[in-house]
Amino acid sequence: MSDSKFSKPPRSKAAKWTRRGFIGVGALAGGALIVGVAIRTGNPVGKLKPIVAGGEGEALINAWVKIGADNLVTAIVPHCEMGQGAQSTIAQMLADEMDVNWENIRVMDAPADGNYVSQHTVRTFIGPGTVPNRPNQASFMEPTYDGLFTQLGKLGDAYITGGSSSVRSTGQYGMRIAGAAARQMLVAAAAAEWGVPASEITTESTMLSHAKSGKSEAYAKFAAAAAEQDLPRAPRIKTVAEYKLMGMPAPRKDIPGKVDGTAIFGIDGGPEGQELKYAAVKAAPVVGARVESMDATVAKTMPGVLQILNMGDFVAVVADSYWQAQQALGAIETAYTKSEIDGLDSEQMFAGFTKALDEAGAKGGNTKADYGDAAGALSSAALKVEAEYKVPFLAHATMEPMNCTAWVRGGKCDIWTGSQVPLMARSGAAEGAGVSADDVTMHSVLLGGGFGRRLTAEYTNQAARIAKATGYPVRMIWSREEDTTQDFYRPADISRFSGGLDKDGKLLSWNNVHCTEDEPAEAALVEFYDIPNVSVRNAEVEMPLRLGSWRSVAHSQHGFFVESFIDELAHAAGKDPYEFRRTLLANSPRHLAVLDGAAKMAGWGSDLPEGHGRGIALARSFNSIVAEVAEVDMTGGKPRVTRMYCCVDAGFAMNPDGLTAQMESGIIYGLTAAMYDEITIKDGRVQQSNFHDYQMMRMGDAPRITVQIINGAPDNLGGAGEPGLPPAAPAVANAIFAATGQRIRELPIAKHFA
Amino acid sequence: MVKLSINGRPEEIDVDPAMPILWVVRERFGMNGTKFGCGIAQCGACTVHLDGEPIRSCSTPISAAEGKAITTIEGIAAEDGTLSKVQQAWISEQVPQCGYCQSGQIMSATALLERSPQPSDEQIDAAMKGNVCRCGMYGRIRKAIKVAAGTEAPTRQESAT
Amino acid sequence: MKPISLILLAGVAPLGLAACSSESEEPVEQIIVRQPGEAAPVLSGVANSPGTADIVAAGKAAFAACAACHSVQQDGASGSGPNLYGVAGRAAGRLNGFAYSEAMVSSGITWDSAALNAYLAAPSEVVPGTSMSAGAVTDPERRKAIIAYLASLSQ
Repeated sequence: MSDSKFSKPPRSKAAKWTRRGFIGVGALAGGALIVGVAIRTGNPVGKLKPIVAGGEGEALINAWVKIGADNLVTAIVPHCEMGQGAQSTIAQMLADEMDVNWENIRVMDAPADGNYVSQHTVRTFIGPGTVPNRPNQASFMEPTYDGLFTQLGKLGDAYITGGSSSVRSTGQYGMRIAGAAARQMLVAAAAAEWGVPASEITTESTMLSHAKSGKSEAYAKFAAAAAEQDLPRAPRIKTVAEYKLMGMPAPRKDIPGKVDGTAIFGIDGGPEGQELKYAAVKAAPVVGARVESMDATVAKTMPGVLQILNMGDFVAVVADSYWQAQQALGAIETAYTKSEIDGLDSEQMFAGFTKALDEAGAKGGNTKADYGDAAGALSSAALKVEAEYKVPFLAHATMEPMNCTAWVRGGKCDIWTGSQVPLMARSGAAEGAGVSADDVTMHSVLLGGGFGRRLTAEYTNQAARIAKATGYPVRMIWSREEDTTQDFYRPADISRFSGGLDKDGKLLSWNNVHCTEDEPAEAALVEFYDIPNVSVRNAEVEMPLRLGSWRSVAHSQHGFFVESFIDELAHAAGKDPYEFRRTLLANSPRHLAVLDGAAKMAGWGSDLPEGHGRGIALARSFNSIVAEVAEVDMTGGKPRVTRMYCCVDAGFAMNPDGLTAQMESGIIYGLTAAMYDEITIKDGRVQQSNFHDYQMMRMGDAPRITVQIINGAPDNLGGAGEPGLPPAAPAVANAIFAATGQRIRELPIAKHFA
Repeated sequence: MVKLSINGRPEEIDVDPAMPILWVVRERFGMNGTKFGCGIAQCGACTVHLDGEPIRSCSTPISAAEGKAITTIEGIAAEDGTLSKVQQAWISEQVPQCGYCQSGQIMSATALLERSPQPSDEQIDAAMKGNVCRCGMYGRIRKAIKVAAGTEAPTRQESAT
Repeated sequence: MKPISLILLAGVAPLGLAACSSESEEPVEQIIVRQPGEAAPVLSGVANSPGTADIVAAGKAAFAACAACHSVQQDGASGSGPNLYGVAGRAAGRLNGFAYSEAMVSSGITWDSAALNAYLAAPSEVVPGTSMSAGAVTDPERRKAIIAYLASLSQ
């Protein structure tokens, strides 16, 4: 392999993280993981005990597992639950390694405490390449580095749920090891007590047994003694053949509370037995603007109003009821200062994109991949194909609008909210309340959707500032309008391609230049396709808006760009789009299997009724590979997506029903954006405000979805929450082309059929 | 004073008659299962029953409930806590993801099954179109309605613990 | 040496952004109307003895509940409900470019004060099949104020 920075990336995505590599050098890391926090930061297990193990007769075995006197085992999970089911799946991995039956498992949010940072998540986010002077692969696992990552995690407040990382990082490298170690310690404790060899003790269904003597006891009996045992330096984790719960569709632990109204979301959280007041807020509508003046003459006479606050960057009304606060907020006249982007509109921005792409031309911009001779191969190609694609800004539109309840008093602050980054949420509140982060208690509750929206802390900061001003507990809730206009948006993008085919229709040259930063770095790359000459670049553009991570991040647009262009190349070459992709996947057997799986499910090539069409698309993101086939019905003059077939290889499906649900969810989220949505800017302001102009896919428009799972690499797990999304839009656009000959190069699709 | 019943309990409340039912239920009665999503009857997260009819409580004033019966998600299980057929189907089909919309979905589905005990796909589309699920669990919701109606078999028998 | 970081950076950018957006500044202006538990101050006239200007102001405040769906900007776009600028005296269901219900289009109503008053009190009784499923205004004083406010816009 070339050492060039831009050489073709490797096909195997997880050489560093194979289990073999982990166990081989992972003895230290395995120990460090469970007690690693303990070793590195001075016995934090003792420090954590009062926080997580408050009950009578409970012993803390390690920082991740708790066994109660009732023989219930609690998985303490450093990731939030926002619907993706990761808490349950991670607990499932723990239960399997520990031989605990599912009924005896409970799940608990890890407290927002720096000691709970998952260094594995931090590794996943920050990436090994960022550690200076990394000497070699082996020392990468040294506990020194684990300590470093823990520290980095604290600095960055990186207790993160995102990047489709929970199961494949914390689950695979944390909870499984923790479970195996806990089991081993229980066995050692029982062996000592019973005076028998540990090798003769078996574990099953949260029980320890010794067949020869007929002894059998619950785990709970040995929990305290187990906590005294030495920590195993290399706990043995199960092979796939030994899995009992892993790979099974265990029912999620969070679902019962979500069908009877008892589940506590951010909007429901708050101090017990304490009267709450409510805040409605409105921030300056243009980035960079501030509140110049507010006229509350009418608002302050309105019923229920307690306080009206001009906080400089936003206005808030605190009232007895949220509805009263909203009413009064609507009656406030506000003037805003000028902002540099007062005159900004979307069309201007897109014009700027086009200019930047023109300037980048055939060779300029930042190189993201460059192998072979893309320009040379293009100029000598028998057939050249060019296309340009465009996608808009997008909002997250979580069902639960941003909210946070805060109570600031006596130099302390309590907050109740849902966050993908609880430590950062805590820091945001600390700044707002003017106290140290250690003086903020973050009460983590369920998230009514995340999708990347709750990776920011401005809402906890706002709530804390309001609560500091009032002195009593206040629940701040954003209106839907506020949520839509004050989001951190998925960036808009334009992407230009030129491709060169030889006279037999073989793809020789791939040239792409686009506008947004690539995050993740491989989002725009096509290394899994066998294309000899590739140049991928991006041009720097101005987007003076709040931008954020939106489900699948840059894969959300590049999936559409890349797979639409591949489709155009196939048609230009006179080939079937599925067969054309197959010829490019000779060196990517897992991708090929997934593509074949989706095509087979959909009956690719079979007849469809007049006016119907099929489209196929393939994408790999977050270490998972997904292919989708869409069927559209164009007979009504507008596209209606009737069916989606999805084949996914996430390495190994720890919970196949959970993975299926994530595919279904990613597809609908992707289709919603592809079909209907765009955030547009006029005079610096977001023009959309609520679900009437930022539409959601609804029951009658949702296609039937079928999902098939391939467990193609059991030691190399991929993510689940995001990878279902990137192929959805191109599969539909390609299906529309198949049905009508109309090529969709700009989203949303509805625009073309208005 | 508005006189009404909430989940079968007679109540008399002194509140601005224009206040939406959603906020009365949440703030005055502390029942948080009913959710705020959009405030303009577009998303259905706030769906409750008013005399058995599904309504968007974010946009219906409490005065409209005078002399009527409000039922919320907290009021559809049996008195002994046995979950309703719809709730049970929601578990057997593992419907919720984030779960924020699900109280509203369940209330709409419950009202649908009262009217049409074995609804067709078109009836499901029509009855559920006012309820957005941002996690996109429409396939599972449809299946769960049919399971509750007894027209399809549940995917799993055991319930989560 | 692996050329490309395999491991993903999702989330890092917003971390930076959000960290910058945190503030701890004090309120620029804080109007304390009352403390929790204190009785509300007696309102000075706005709702109780409205003069013309007051009733329009009260109507404007009450209209906040309607503004989520209805714009009142001259030539402003309709939201999920039609733009109500100049609605007083207009024939029902006739604003260009808004997708009214059949029921509204065929209602034959002209929006004078009496018609608006009846409709706002019970929309689906006056126009069965209207898309305005919400928004009934039960308080007669509030209705009167909203109607006065709407009328004032196009005068």
